[in-house]
Amino acid sequence: MTFPLYIFLIIYFVFLLGWLVFSFIAVYHMLKFGFLNFTTFFTVFVYIAISFLMLAISYKYLSQIDWQMNVTIFGDLFNLEFSF
Amino acid sequence: MLLLYRLSGKLPDEKIIKVLRRDAFILIKKILFFILLLVLPLVLFYIVVTSIYPGILYGQISYPIFVLIVSFYYLFLWVFFFFSFIDYYLDVWIITNERIINIEQKGFFARIVSEQRLSRIQDVTSEVEGFFPTIFKYGNVYVQTAGAKERFFFHEISNPDQVRNIIIKLVEKSKAAHHT
Repeated sequence: MTFPLYIFLIIYFVFLLGWLVFSFIAVYHMLKFGFLNFTTFFTVFVYIAISFLMLAISYKYLSQIDWQMNVTIFGDLFNLEFSF
Repeated sequence: MLLLYRLSGKLPDEKIIKVLRRDAFILIKKILFFILLLVLPLVLFYIVVTSIYPGILYGQISYPIFVLIVSFYYLFLWVFFFFSFIDYYLDVWIITNERIINIEQKGFFARIVSEQRLSRIQDVTSEVEGFFPTIFKYGNVYVQTAGAKERFFFHEISNPDQVRNIIIKLVEKSKAAHHT
């Protein structure tokens, strides 16, 4: 069975979307219900800054990969001919 | 956002006596667990690369999948650690000279805010139980109010005995003020 490698990338993006939703909820909670003080804003800033850093590092490594490449798994398992 | 100097339903002449969160040791435990989850995959990765599958970083398929999994793992670890911090940070107990307020974050979408007037408080109990609570001086404070079955519960706060004494003194003052 052969399929393009970018299928994995699409699955990754779906999870990334979920991660974005979680991040939005977290930041919203902090800003909506946190005390109006330095700690609240500082922790939100640190969260967003490190998130951007992680996304940038991920992008750096992911952009170097050829996602058009085909992946073959199970070889010719589905085209095997059996003789009895 | 919550403004300490503008509490909801603030009473005339009400002053904030103490703002409490769970003990710092609880936060340190969360951070240590986060560090463990941060480091553990690196150790596993080292074992895999050195002895089980040295070609993982050079394979045309294994390398992209490896990068995706690492990115996915650390992004979600980071957001769940942040949620864990929020759970700690947004659970607050406020003691004023008129009432006690309990603000509790439960999961992602549940938030409980309850309050009790000091004049209705009948009994205050502090509890320090276990090895770490005894060493680091944190524990629970239960506040029993008149008529209510449910007790106010200050969870894993620092110096629970001191907090109990503060509440008892404030209750006595409040009851004396209401009788005069």
